[in-house]
Amino acid sequence: MDKQQEFVLRTIEERGVKFVRLWFTDVTGTLKNVALAPAEVEGAFAEGLGVDGSSIEGLTRVYEADVLLHPDPTTFQVLPWRGQVDPTARMFCDITTPDGQPAVTDPRQVLRRTLAKAADKGFTFYTHPEIEFYLFKDNNPHNIVPVDEAGYFDNVPGGTAHDFRRNAVRHLEDLGISVEFSHHEAGPGQNEIDLRYADALTTADNIQTFRTVVKEAAIEQGVYATFMPKPLVDQPGSGMHTHMSLFEGEANAFFDPSKPHQLSTVGRQFIAGILTHAPEFTAVTNQFVNSYKRLWGGGEAPPFITWGHNNTSALVRVPMYKPGKEQSVRIEYRGLDAAANPYLAYSVLLAAGLKGIDEGYELPPEAEGDIANLTSMERRALGYKPLPESLHRALHAMEESELVAETLGEQVFTYFIRNKMAEWNEYRRQVTPFELDANFRQL
Amino acid sequence: MAEQPSLTDLARLGFVELGEAREVVASLGVDASLFAAAASPDRALSWFQRIGDSNPTLHEILHGDVVLRDSLIRVVGASDGIAEFLLRCPQALERLRVPHSLLSETEFRQVFDDCDSVDSIRRRYREELVTVAAWDLAGESATANVAAVAAALADLAAGVLDAALRLVIATTEAPDEVRDNTFLSIIGMGKAGARELNYVSDVDVIFVSDSTLFEDDHRSLELATKWARGVVAAVNEPGIEPPLWELDANLRPEGAKGALVRTLESHIAYYERWAENWEFQALLKARPMAGDAELGSRYLAAVESFVWSSSSRDGFVESVQRMRERVTANIPVSDRDNQIKLGPGGLRDVEFTVQLLQLVHGKDDETVRTRDTLTSIGRLAAGGYVGRAEAQSFADHYRSLRVLEHRVQLLGLRRTHLMPTDETMLRTVARASGIALTSVELLARWSDIKRDVRSLHERLFYRPLLATVASLSDDTLALSREQAQDRLRASGFRDPAGALRHIAALTAGLSRTSSIHRNLLPVLLHWMSEGADPDGGLAAFRNVSESLGDSPWFLRMLRDSAGAAQRLSVVLSASRFVALLIERVPDAVAWLDDDELMQPRALSEMQEEFGAIDARHDSVTEAATAVRFARRRELLRLALGAVLGLVTIEQLGVALSDLTTATLGALLKLARRDIDGIEFAVIAMGRYGGEELGFSSDADVLWVFRDSGAGDEAHKHAERIVHDVVRLAEDLRFPLEIDAGLRPEGKNGPLIRSLDAYRAYYEKWSDVWETQALIRGRAVTGDAQLLDDFEAMADSVRYATSIGDDGIREIRRIKARVENERMPHGHDPNRHTKLGRGSLSDVEWLVQLLQLKHATAVPALRTPSTLGALTAATTAGLVSAADASALRAAWLFASRIRSAITLFTGKGSDILPVNHTELDGVARILEYVPGSGAALENDYLRTTRLARQVFERLFFPA
Repeated sequence: MDKQQEFVLRTIEERGVKFVRLWFTDVTGTLKNVALAPAEVEGAFAEGLGVDGSSIEGLTRVYEADVLLHPDPTTFQVLPWRGQVDPTARMFCDITTPDGQPAVTDPRQVLRRTLAKAADKGFTFYTHPEIEFYLFKDNNPHNIVPVDEAGYFDNVPGGTAHDFRRNAVRHLEDLGISVEFSHHEAGPGQNEIDLRYADALTTADNIQTFRTVVKEAAIEQGVYATFMPKPLVDQPGSGMHTHMSLFEGEANAFFDPSKPHQLSTVGRQFIAGILTHAPEFTAVTNQFVNSYKRLWGGGEAPPFITWGHNNTSALVRVPMYKPGKEQSVRIEYRGLDAAANPYLAYSVLLAAGLKGIDEGYELPPEAEGDIANLTSMERRALGYKPLPESLHRALHAMEESELVAETLGEQVFTYFIRNKMAEWNEYRRQVTPFELDANFRQL
Repeated sequence: MAEQPSLTDLARLGFVELGEAREVVASLGVDASLFAAAASPDRALSWFQRIGDSNPTLHEILHGDVVLRDSLIRVVGASDGIAEFLLRCPQALERLRVPHSLLSETEFRQVFDDCDSVDSIRRRYREELVTVAAWDLAGESATANVAAVAAALADLAAGVLDAALRLVIATTEAPDEVRDNTFLSIIGMGKAGARELNYVSDVDVIFVSDSTLFEDDHRSLELATKWARGVVAAVNEPGIEPPLWELDANLRPEGAKGALVRTLESHIAYYERWAENWEFQALLKARPMAGDAELGSRYLAAVESFVWSSSSRDGFVESVQRMRERVTANIPVSDRDNQIKLGPGGLRDVEFTVQLLQLVHGKDDETVRTRDTLTSIGRLAAGGYVGRAEAQSFADHYRSLRVLEHRVQLLGLRRTHLMPTDETMLRTVARASGIALTSVELLARWSDIKRDVRSLHERLFYRPLLATVASLSDDTLALSREQAQDRLRASGFRDPAGALRHIAALTAGLSRTSSIHRNLLPVLLHWMSEGADPDGGLAAFRNVSESLGDSPWFLRMLRDSAGAAQRLSVVLSASRFVALLIERVPDAVAWLDDDELMQPRALSEMQEEFGAIDARHDSVTEAATAVRFARRRELLRLALGAVLGLVTIEQLGVALSDLTTATLGALLKLARRDIDGIEFAVIAMGRYGGEELGFSSDADVLWVFRDSGAGDEAHKHAERIVHDVVRLAEDLRFPLEIDAGLRPEGKNGPLIRSLDAYRAYYEKWSDVWETQALIRGRAVTGDAQLLDDFEAMADSVRYATSIGDDGIREIRRIKARVENERMPHGHDPNRHTKLGRGSLSDVEWLVQLLQLKHATAVPALRTPSTLGALTAATTAGLVSAADASALRAAWLFASRIRSAITLFTGKGSDILPVNHTELDGVARILEYVPGSGAALENDYLRTTRLARQVFERLFFPA
């Protein structure tokens, strides 16, 4: 038993923790949890906790039902929203097969592996997500009513959203997750909370925690929070714009004072890698049928493969450099949505960027002005290619991608495509309200 | 003035260049006998002259000061490097006075107190080095002093780092607030950490920082990094006084690419989350060397638990095996025999064994948690983990090797671990070491040491295991059962209790056999431990040994032929299939000595041998038993060749097909003993036809006969032959499954037809799949004329006309249906090596479709071989080179995996294993490094996915 584990056992006793939740993520990005009584934690540290993996999406190969969860004691936190009545704590888990091998299908493992590849080249990968979501009055999908009618950065005095954000932010800080901003977004009931810069594995863990915190804080206010990419036809979707940078030791590898926008060659190649491979990995960064309603629904979502300096209509934005802030030179990928599996999404983004560096890709000219305002002929003339238009097309592009296969590993890759193809086929079968409205009486 | 010495006198004193020496001695007017104490009197004399000439006052001193003079002669006679320094800095001559004892750790720090520049630190280091060398070379016994010298060298290096850090801190500009709250500790690793440094070697360090700044500790880390860079520069960078040695910080987290300095928390976080097992093992030697002592001890306290829990971590066994491989694999062959450090029997071998024992037993016993090699050997002996006598000789050898290393490095003050090849240099090393007087004697002594060290790993690590369960005649230390099991577990045995039982059985009693086992088992266990299944290997060895009993040749071979004994251990622990066969054909152990004997035998040779069995036996049953035995023996030959990597998968396919042909031919002869009046032949089909059989493939055949006088009885006769051949071929252990399912009408058709009946059927009725099957038809054994006539008939069916659109559509439809129907339920289709995505059948169907379409026009396509036809199709431009290579890669990979599965598990399976132990065993047979099961899996899935993409594009064009 190491010191961290002993610390966990001690804290459980001292704080009178009644339940310990073991958290892990399946291939679709859903957070799963198993609750333990405090007495069982020691055993889980020593031997792992056996669970039937066959009921978990993509976690095991069908014939290999059992996996072991190994709680990571460094992620131990007492959950704040349960109050003092029955204190509950959580730990993230690594997943192994019964003979102790890391499960190749554990998304956390996929990200660890990709980060290790970056480390081999001397890079550490930092990310900082801006997560958007909507608050609705209740969770009935057939009658969705936003909690308010406010807009971007509006201060809604005494509103539900205000209390909600205060609670959510406090809970997050209690869990050791630093929050950068929290403000009201463009749509009614829409909110955004930004998480502080951290290494990508920590960020991905934090995103998973964040989603739970937000949903819990909403329930405390008697409302419902959703990260669905596009819940309302006429309102903006919920993205998860992510700022990214690579560090070599203590130095920001994206910073070079002598280059345009203070962006180094490495930074330019990283962007070029992302742009080149974007069609192949979009199925991962935008993994639901509904994701494509956001991408192609206008507004802030960027469906064309472009980059620009401080251009919010480009897929990759290079934020304005603030003198003296070389540590914060970074790029922002705006395609990602709030429902992506953060472990897999950050893996493919990093892998694409590294590929750009390895192969020395050339960056195309930057896009200026609002790309959405161009005609399709203008875009063609400028060479701005679109992202896939649907989950179906995205999956086909992914199928041909060696980069994504190599990054996810053969087994996650195959499972992911099969699973998402099933979602697409199910969707294609549907008769939608749009068709009924447009056709039922007319035909 | 001394009398002029004769050349004989000079030779007796140890001079080599006699005439030249006499002149110099005469011109200097010194007593030649003074130089006898030097390792190389010639060098000593020549340097003595040069140093004296450089400054006239030195002559006076050298002639007057006897103590200084004698020390000078000893030092410059052994070290050109130090002589050059003395020439450059004559004031350092004073440092040659031999002290009573070397300075203490603290004193070595203080000698740098007044150094105020990089040059002065470096010069002071060299001055102190002169004193250390003088003391070292003046000693009675170099081996007795080597530990003290090595510790002094480490302390001296620590003094340099401390002084350099003080200097850098004083000269780096920083806000007071930041400087006062920033701490840096330099942790020594490797030999520097263990206080057992060489005269010239890399000094391995890790930089750790800490900050008491409120909040913004980034500024602290930046400052600490500047300091660390400054220290590195102070040691490494060019200057007026040349740099000292390589200060190497590459053992830090993330190696050369990681941040040079990390905070203590960041180190801990790294070791908790990212570090690999070998990194914990490296921490075994960690020791704060310089900088902030309090931070250093906190670092040490934090990392200690990682070291001692490492042997109970997953993957420990693999990481140790890889560590050992790295040791032996990285040496250029040309240097192998001259390597004092890395070669077989070198220093690294000693260190490896000692560290492994520490890691295994240090988990529970704190007394063996020591850093330097000699102390650790002592503690291991005191704790009862190695025998006193072995520990003594291990320590002695280690000391001798270290002395040799020191003397070689002193020569030029260069970092080298290579024994010189030059005769006079060797002689100098010999005389300086006190180990020998001549080069010949030195090499002989060294080679004894190397041989002994090589076997010490087995003696120290494995031999005590024997003593646990058997009484040995010598006084080998006996481990407790728990200790013995810990060691076996650490070597990769999964069932240590069972292994101990086997060891007990093999060593019990007083027979000659068991006494040979007692001598051999330590090394056999070592070899088995490097295989995928040590437990299986040991059990099989016990079986073989019991069945060969006291066969003198077996014992002699084990005892005398290291190569054969090693191979036996390797194949038994790598392959259950080999183990099973070898238990039944134990004599085959004799082949292991000779690669030629494990090459496939020619078909004609086997046919002759197998055919002759018929004549030797009256009883058909007995003859058939003899044929089956001969088949097992050849099967074993091929399995051995495959496990040892002596045959390729393509050679193996041909050889197994030949073996099947020889076997069927011999059995056919037996079955026809009392049958006349018909001709009979066997047609190989499927993979047998293509000469692509694996160890557990069925043999697909067609049977054919022709009436030559039997008339109405002919068909009955033929049926009886088929029946008898199948019955006689039956071998429950190593089945030869004969399958006639590819005959016309499949299972519903008659088992055998006459040639005319086949012809009539194929002309009138044939389905497209039957034509497709006939592409792989190859007449193999039976009556010659019938064989030829069948081929001619088959050609007219398969190659005469090209398949039409209807046929193509039909083949595509069948393939699409088969993919669904034949796949066994409950398995991942991607892991099926025969029917799965992109595996054998995809490639074969595609190739056969090309043959059906184009063989009429392209004669090169007329071959039953899949890869042969694929090559022909590529040459003819029917398939692109890139597509062909994707298909070929998948076909070969699937075939190799199928063969490896049978070899490892002892039974055939179509499915890539999911069990990690099996996967690892299969991967090792395919020459992956240990612990690569997941890599094999990923490689296979990728290769077949790419092949499937090609297949879908070419077979089912959109």
